[in-house]
Amino acid sequence: MILSRVADALYWTGRYLERAENAARLLLVTEELSTEILGLDEELARAEWTDLRAIFPGFEPEERSARHLAGFAAASLHGLSIDPAHPYSIFFSLKKARDNARSVREALTVEVFVNLNETYRELEHYTRRQLADPPTFRSAMSSTHRGILSTVGAIEHTLARDAGWLFLKLGESLERVFRTTVILRTKLPALLAPEPKIDLPLFYSQWRSLLRGLSSLENYRKVFGARLEPIDVLQFLLFDPHTPRSVRYGASAVKDYLDRISSASELSVPARLVGKLAAELSYQGHDLIREGQSLPFLDHVLAELGRAHDALSTLYFGT
Amino acid sequence: MKWVAARSGFDEVFDQRGHCRAHYSPLISVLEAFTKEDVERRERLQQLSLRSQGITFTVYGEKEGIERIFPFDFVPRIIPASEWKTIQDGLVQRITTLNLFLLDIYQEQQCLKDRIVPPELVLSRKEYKRELLEVVPPRKIFTHVVGTDIIRDDTGEYLVLEDNCRCPSGVSYVLENRTVLSRVFPEFFGSYPVRPIKDYPTLLLDTLRFVAPRPGQNPVVVVLSPGIHNSAYFEHSFLAREMGVPLVEGRDLLVEGNRVFMRRTHGKRQVDVIYRRIDDDFLDPLAFRRDSMLGVPGLLNVYREGNVALANAPGAGVADDKSVYAFMPRLIKYYLGEEPLLPQVPTYLGFRRDDFRYIGEHLDELVVKTTGDAGGYGMLMGPFASAREREAYLGAMRKNPGNYIAQPLVELSTHPTHIDGQFEPRRVDLRPFILYGDRIRVLPGGLTRVALRASSYVVNSSQGGGSKDTWVLAPRDP
Repeated sequence: MILSRVADALYWTGRYLERAENAARLLLVTEELSTEILGLDEELARAEWTDLRAIFPGFEPEERSARHLAGFAAASLHGLSIDPAHPYSIFFSLKKARDNARSVREALTVEVFVNLNETYRELEHYTRRQLADPPTFRSAMSSTHRGILSTVGAIEHTLARDAGWLFLKLGESLERVFRTTVILRTKLPALLAPEPKIDLPLFYSQWRSLLRGLSSLENYRKVFGARLEPIDVLQFLLFDPHTPRSVRYGASAVKDYLDRISSASELSVPARLVGKLAAELSYQGHDLIREGQSLPFLDHVLAELGRAHDALSTLYFGT
Repeated sequence: MKWVAARSGFDEVFDQRGHCRAHYSPLISVLEAFTKEDVERRERLQQLSLRSQGITFTVYGEKEGIERIFPFDFVPRIIPASEWKTIQDGLVQRITTLNLFLLDIYQEQQCLKDRIVPPELVLSRKEYKRELLEVVPPRKIFTHVVGTDIIRDDTGEYLVLEDNCRCPSGVSYVLENRTVLSRVFPEFFGSYPVRPIKDYPTLLLDTLRFVAPRPGQNPVVVVLSPGIHNSAYFEHSFLAREMGVPLVEGRDLLVEGNRVFMRRTHGKRQVDVIYRRIDDDFLDPLAFRRDSMLGVPGLLNVYREGNVALANAPGAGVADDKSVYAFMPRLIKYYLGEEPLLPQVPTYLGFRRDDFRYIGEHLDELVVKTTGDAGGYGMLMGPFASAREREAYLGAMRKNPGNYIAQPLVELSTHPTHIDGQFEPRRVDLRPFILYGDRIRVLPGGLTRVALRASSYVVNSSQGGGSKDTWVLAPRDP
């Protein structure tokens, strides 16, 4: 039972923190892969950046720098890391997370706020200089990433499991499953093309990079071993019940928080929407992938998550 | 470590011959043992600590409102028990009087009928809320939280400069300064019986609960803030957190059936006491300013009906009016039959013809203030202004003489302050905080504000001031 405004701000704190974490991780992974394959296949390196721009939209469509890959990569890096005007840059998300947290400081612990504030301040410091060279960039992003994880740790370790915490976690889990789905939706068309146009080691690097981008490579290996089979990777990222960034796990987490927020007697509209989605994900499997239905299914997931967000905003935040 | 001697006024630490006053000598010995490098390293730690905790205030007039750290000077101000006793007794006497005065002018108006204060002076103030005539706040308390500004003249005597009966701010810095100092310079505390202040939020909550209109268990208390863009937002949030009560904005509250509720995710809940940090004019767009987006439509009616307590009570602002201030010694005598325990600064009132003439003739010796403004805005420091500035100011005064008061420039006391690697005297004042609940309590400490520029007399944070931890010493056992 908390103020609607406070619930709203905590929900967005969770969403923006998760978004910043996702962006930091994906930027690091993309930068690494594109550097490694640059000499082998420039087109593929460019495609990595193009995908990233589709996952975190907000760039100007036509840029002069786009003609040269180095310029294109540098512009993407800058845009998604420290550009204060880019709506999906890490800096922008962290600033929004902090603004929201600052507006409800009394609902958070000192540990949570201090970690978030310090992470933000550190990155803000970089926005005043340019991220000069790749090592500087990597060290700045890694440090921001660590800062975000320590904030998440403070949330886990210090916040009471009350309504405020539930809304924060709801935002985090909804953002997570949504972004995972967007990533899969963006990457799969090229990866699932019947005839891979590139040589096999490079093909597997891409799948490995996809798993790393969803911090799921180690978890995948525990289930399927080191061998990367596209169908297994897909199966894992869509339907694995245990890895925190699979679509199935994500939808169940959202459902769980919505159930707990709902009053005991009756499920809310958003809880029912996501409940159905979680059930679909629990009973789907290889068939869907074999039948080539992954992409329409991902579109369906995205649409349902969008509806759930709208429904919960109306119900709980009065927006 | 280099100490620069004070040139004028009363110095808190060194007497006129440059000898350290007895109650400061243990501190100075400890400080002397530090090297310059040690001090600078500690000061960096202190900066980091303030920044990472987001202990900031917002400066108006800059784009988007810039968040600044409230500068903190680590040399604490120390007030011996005997001096504190005078201050405390004087403040209790003053707050009692202010509250009696407010009760009176919103009911019988006896002090106006007896011509203790000119009626036109009170009744013409915009802070005087005619619509609240005959409304008695719960437990007859108007001024639940007061911050009174005190200075010391060149003889070291404590003088009241002004009372703040609306939404005095700064207490969060009082508490945070103590935390920061004890972390960064723990060595300072060893030889002093410093009275604790950290129970302020508990006392504040008790004070607020005491005035809850619904009898019985667990009244719902909230802090009402204008929101994140307000300069004192950090404090609003800090106090809500420390008291464990919701921080609300106007849009979180609604009035239904002459009761106030807060909007929650699962239905609404009635609110009993609002510690409001919003000015009267913005409280309720139906009663006061119609364009206010910060307030709660209908709130004043609920208050009038006695279904919610507001702290401080609306209309209390008239008591800290700078021209009412001039009458405080008379009011103390009138209501309590006592002599004022704390003297105050002589004040000339623009609305009196003789006073106005005097002000015009002595503008180069006087500090002139507008009666409505706070925070050092809209004042003229006569002795430092150019002839042209004085002339222009006088022109503005002539249009509305009643809006101005003037006081002689009091040479504020100075206190050694760490500036660029050495200790230099800087002007200070003191704002103790007083709570009025089941009885009047004075927090043993307060906000010592310090003017960081050598030439400055203005200590407000909005005008480039900083602050110090303020120690009130416990009396020694007899």
